[in-house]
Amino acid sequence: MTTNFDRRTILRLGAGAGALATLGVPASVLAQAAAKGQLTIAFPADVPTWDPNARSLAAVQSLYKCVFDQPLTQNPDISVRPALVTKWGYVDDKSLSLGLDFRNDVVFHDGSPMTAADFRYSFFERPRAPVPEGGRRLDTSFIWQKIKEIEVVSPTRAIVHFSEPMPSAVAWMYFLTSYVVPKAYVERVGLDGFQKNPVGSGPYRLVEYQQGARAVLEANDKYWDGKPAIGRITVELVRDPTARVAAIESRRVDCAIDVPVREAQRLATVPGLVSNIDAIADITLLQITKNGGFADDRVRLAAHHAINKEAISRALFGGAAKPISVPAAHGTAGYPEDFVFPFSEEKAVALLKELGHGPQNPIKIKFASPNGAFPNDFDAARAIVQMWKKVGIDAELETIELSTYQERLRAGTLPEATYFSWGNSAGDPELYGGYLLNPKSIFSAFKTEDLAPKIQPLLVEMDEKKRIQGYKDAHRYAAEKGYTIPLYQTVKTVVHVNTLNTTKFVNGLVLPQGWSFKA
Amino acid sequence: MSRIALQLLFRRTLLAIPILLCVSALVFGILRLLPADPIAMSLPPGATAADFEKLRQSFGLDRSIPEQYVIWLGRLVTGDLGTSIYFRRDVGDLIAKALPATLELVLLGLVLGVAIGIVGGLAMFSWRGRMGEQVLDLGTTGLMAIPEFLWAILLILAFGVALPILPFIGRLSPELVLPPPVTGFLLFDSLVTGHLRVLGSALWHMVLPAFALAIGVAPLVMRVLRSSLLDVIQEDYVTQARLRGIPEHTILVRHALKNAALPTISLIGVQGGFMFGGTVLVEMIFAYPGLGNLMVDAVRNHDLPVIQAVGLVYCVLVLGINAIVDVVYLAANPKLRVA
Repeated sequence: MTTNFDRRTILRLGAGAGALATLGVPASVLAQAAAKGQLTIAFPADVPTWDPNARSLAAVQSLYKCVFDQPLTQNPDISVRPALVTKWGYVDDKSLSLGLDFRNDVVFHDGSPMTAADFRYSFFERPRAPVPEGGRRLDTSFIWQKIKEIEVVSPTRAIVHFSEPMPSAVAWMYFLTSYVVPKAYVERVGLDGFQKNPVGSGPYRLVEYQQGARAVLEANDKYWDGKPAIGRITVELVRDPTARVAAIESRRVDCAIDVPVREAQRLATVPGLVSNIDAIADITLLQITKNGGFADDRVRLAAHHAINKEAISRALFGGAAKPISVPAAHGTAGYPEDFVFPFSEEKAVALLKELGHGPQNPIKIKFASPNGAFPNDFDAARAIVQMWKKVGIDAELETIELSTYQERLRAGTLPEATYFSWGNSAGDPELYGGYLLNPKSIFSAFKTEDLAPKIQPLLVEMDEKKRIQGYKDAHRYAAEKGYTIPLYQTVKTVVHVNTLNTTKFVNGLVLPQGWSFKA
Repeated sequence: MSRIALQLLFRRTLLAIPILLCVSALVFGILRLLPADPIAMSLPPGATAADFEKLRQSFGLDRSIPEQYVIWLGRLVTGDLGTSIYFRRDVGDLIAKALPATLELVLLGLVLGVAIGIVGGLAMFSWRGRMGEQVLDLGTTGLMAIPEFLWAILLILAFGVALPILPFIGRLSPELVLPPPVTGFLLFDSLVTGHLRVLGSALWHMVLPAFALAIGVAPLVMRVLRSSLLDVIQEDYVTQARLRGIPEHTILVRHALKNAALPTISLIGVQGGFMFGGTVLVEMIFAYPGLGNLMVDAVRNHDLPVIQAVGLVYCVLVLGINAIVDVVYLAANPKLRVA
């Protein structure tokens, strides 16, 4: 029996359909390069809300910094730089009143001028505003709890009065959630209206936003720091790392952020692309506890000595992950550059031998690591397991979701060690050791009372030299006592077309307002 | 619509109520038994243990699970899906924005999958006993063995990178802007507002994700259709038609295909339901702003109100598809109408 649906007919139909499809491809799809003056970025995360005071999420600060301004900002080497605030300094001898002078030429995207009243609104009135039922306080209300009042002296001057010293206040003015929003606009349109059509004073205006898909930004002609060179930016929100690699490789985008390290290394060899793999101010460490096999200091010290951080960096991060001996990044104020915690299998073996353990009689511990939350996290954890095995630590590795990590951290039920990355784009030592080592902090895993007198006075120490030295000493003390196992500075990858001039920031922020296309 | 069809839909709606209650209770309970806490996930620097407890209270997470469920259900009945812990926005609003994108994608995926399945099924039947059938048979096995998300990546590499003819990021080309919203359905809105370039770009951006979803449906439709056709072709009425001199392809299309389609219709209903599950990873890979993408964000951040609500919406969609398929099946099968 035969029918008219023979192979030739079907092949002919298929070929015809293929030809039609090819002819119908829109020109924009075939275009390999972005239109001149326009930049397309494949970005790995979306903002949860366009209210920049609401959530302290490090991953999306680059997006907020496009649309909003902070009182202060940072240079590429993360040193502080004036922004909305031109001068700052304490005006009393107890360091409880911080005077701030504002620029007089800043306008919000709606054309209204930015004044000290907007600063007061963002940093004092909004955090204290009553929360509707089922709602939630802004994160600024937790961060700026020590602010007692903000006195508006004039449109260009304000004095922040603190209830107790807050030595990290200046650092916080260029850190998470610290953005100035327009009081009149927010009050006029309400929170929903503001989230839908956010207005800031930043280098770009948000002209279109599709949650989970893209944000379109247009240069702010009246930006106080000069109009950005790139007029229009489309931020494609591409969560999948493989898709981000494909996007830059096919030139659908001009720049891809946080591509896997191995892919970044491969793309470096692709003509027309520039690949950056750099250590940033964020740090990767093992969050350790006194639980189970880690009860004895010597086991934790042995575990630290046994990790060859250089080898992991070379094998998994192309040598970019800078090993650290304390929980802080090199070059930041709280890092004691004269201290090195050595990699030494001999020392590790000797310490374990004192306890009757060795490769033949290993001590058993549990070790958790996320898989895919941080660059090469699980691979690095597996490498550490092998290194520990050589000296006599038998670690049972399990994956952990970040939500589970947070819950177990809070409940004090984390295993002996957990692979984790800690963000600190400001670089202030309080935002490293002040949180990670302070036994009272909800972010510290290792709770030991002998660290409290070393850390807690520093949280109110206003003598900057004493404060910095105090953190250096506390960081070093914690490493020497086996209270922390820092690994290396976290690695950031950015791959872009070679026609793009970019600026690297040590804190890992990606700020296209300073970028341009080569002529 | 016939009276029997209306009765069927009514019965289905009644049956959906206990199913939805069971599913919602199951999802609600399991989420709360997991060792993860959405509040701990979102604690800002400066927060204390006391702040943590206050936040738990404000979201009602300090109450017993049955109590939380009853409160949630009470609000659900009034149309209140709660507030997202991560996005800090109304969950109903988040879903209303994401749902149209997913519906458009699933519809296109289903149409593509069924079309490929029917053409392939006919080809397999036509080439039965020949090399062509074996090749297609092997092909369908290969297609079924690979999950949707892997197809998504393979399609991106093939048609986005190696042969860069199709877009694979988001819904629109960067130079285009969204048309003013009318219904929230981008294809419809761009058509009625006359933004034809947007319509073209949106359709073009849907090709790869829809195809990745379609691959899950097409091979099954092909196989079931081929097998049904093999049964039907033995029927007496086909022999009678041949004796009357009706051409073979006319017999196939006008007589055999209609009867062989019944099992395929049931299969499409089942696969349509599975397709919604497939959107979760496919939407994430293609940066497609639908329910799947929303679900990924919610799961990553353990955003309980969003996970619960999206889970419930998925359940409603699957039940809806099944009801539609039942009606179509009824229309296509005269025996059922008589019964």
